[in-house]
Amino acid sequence: MISLPVVLTVGALLFGIGVYGVLSQTNAVMVIMGVELMLGASMLNVAGFLRYAQPQAASGSLFVLVIMTLMALEATVGFGLVISAWRHRKTAELDDLTELKG
Amino acid sequence: MSDLATALVFWPAAAFMLVTALYVFRTSSMARAGLLLLAALGIEGLIFLALASEFLGVLLLLMMSGEMVIMVFFMVMFMADPGGLMGMDMTHDKRRSAGAAVAVTAALAALALATDWPAAVMDDGGRGSRGSGRDVQQIGFEIMGRSMFTFLFAGVTILFAMVGGILLAKEGGRLGLPTPASEPRDHGAQEA
Repeated sequence: MISLPVVLTVGALLFGIGVYGVLSQTNAVMVIMGVELMLGASMLNVAGFLRYAQPQAASGSLFVLVIMTLMALEATVGFGLVISAWRHRKTAELDDLTELKG
Repeated sequence: MSDLATALVFWPAAAFMLVTALYVFRTSSMARAGLLLLAALGIEGLIFLALASEFLGVLLLLMMSGEMVIMVFFMVMFMADPGGLMGMDMTHDKRRSAGAAVAVTAALAALALATDWPAAVMDDGGRGSRGSGRDVQQIGFEIMGRSMFTFLFAGVTILFAMVGGILLAKEGGRLGLPTPASEPRDHGAQEA
């Protein structure tokens, strides 16, 4: 059956896939997707703790809401940066964005 | 949901979620990558439902649906080959990235399996209060009670991020200075 370590292990696998995406992708939008997966993994961990460690702690749900807020913030600021980079350099490829200046 | 039903939903959903998440970075099409990410996070919402976090699962599904639709637009806008028809390679350092990902996964999984986690404190037959509808009520009381400041702060932070994102993205940046992209692109053509 399912237990907390099982959920956390699935979360670890999802987090690892996100790490691979962040490190291996050259496009900024794809990197944002990797970060989304990493945050999704952390949400899965919280859901596991809520189910199998502290089922009666409603305050734990707040962590999921905070992580969802983080996901929205990361996407908002990330896309703003991507558009800014596109306006200045005409690219969203991270290999071409090696300087902060300009 | 009983333990058996939870297992019957959890295992296939977890496998499908991991496969779709992996294929986000294996496909050459960003449009497909966005839809695969939507599928992965949507299935995560299903896992939330199986883990008796109904409110959070539905919230995740709603939020990810909106966010991924917007993200697909950005992908199509910023990719030279959004459909993946030209077979462009959008990766670098694949071997080292995979090594780092495997190392991180192994460390986290080892920590999860080796730690002696505390047993659940339950007083109502093993399910706690989750999945009975009371968790929604409890979250509501939590948000409007002692965690109200946290939630208010999150709302203000989102507002600042929205304003900051717009200022970053608008032409000329926050100072309104001209950017190279704002100059007429067909200048040479007009001269000719």
